Amino acid sequence: MTQARIEYEKLTAGYEFTPAEFQLDEEKVAAYLQAVDDNTRIYEENKVVPPMAVAALAMAALSTGLVLPDGTIHVSQDLEFNEMAVTGERLTSHARVNRKVERGKFHMLTIEINVTNQKNKKVITGETSFILPLS
Amino acid sequence: MAINLNKLSADTSLPELKRQVTQEHINLYATASGDFNPVHIDPEFAKQTPLGGTIAHGMLVLAYVSEFMTTSFGQAWLTGGSLSARFKAPARPDDTITVNGKVTNLQKKGGVVSVSCDILCVNQQGEPVIVCETKVRVKTNEDIS
Repeated sequence: MTQARIEYEKLTAGYEFTPAEFQLDEEKVAAYLQAVDDNTRIYEENKVVPPMAVAALAMAALSTGLVLPDGTIHVSQDLEFNEMAVTGERLTSHARVNRKVERGKFHMLTIEINVTNQKNKKVITGETSFILPLS
Repeated sequence: MAINLNKLSADTSLPELKRQVTQEHINLYATASGDFNPVHIDPEFAKQTPLGGTIAHGMLVLAYVSEFMTTSFGQAWLTGGSLSARFKAPARPDDTITVNGKVTNLQKKGGVVSVSCDILCVNQQGEPVIVCETKVRVKTNEDIS
């Protein structure tokens, strides 16, 4: 599934992004754990992927289809962890625009994200909000 | 080290976590997550913004909250946890972030205990960086160690 790229200005509430697949490669997970300085044994011993790594990779997959202006700031994050993910799994990120608020110089975008595994079970669900540096 | 579910009550403090944020960690996170927003990785760009310098990705600092919860609740957090976080101030390179939290509510229903917690991440000046509420469902017969 190829992500169609869309600019922020063209987004409207209800817009659904093309589902984006991503793989939980061992190298990607190791790089993530190094970046967040997390040595929790459960990840090493059981090949479990931290749910926050799943969230980060899902947002990365989403970002290939969304062009946000430089200087965009992440202001809030809601997440729910459901099925555990393990190294090697292939997941799919589904996202839609929940809200787009523009009041003068205040621009805020809220996106709902659901990540499913190959059995179509929910791995994580969540909502993320950004403030955009627009004039 | 997981906590003992039987010893939990409202107001129980959870074990503190400290992490130092470095520009290297931020750069590694950008590569790992594919988020190359220049406010995180380009000091010259970031200097020109109201932020005045590079800042860590909010999700990088939020990962400390998840590690904090994993330390206390183990696998129960990974399969039955939820969080609602507000990013209050940016974390900057060389900041030391301390994660503290306490149980605010416990509800037992059937064989499951729902534990609610308030979590606060502060920098070395004591300024709130993330304010977060978490919930985790733990089966009373579950080994969270």
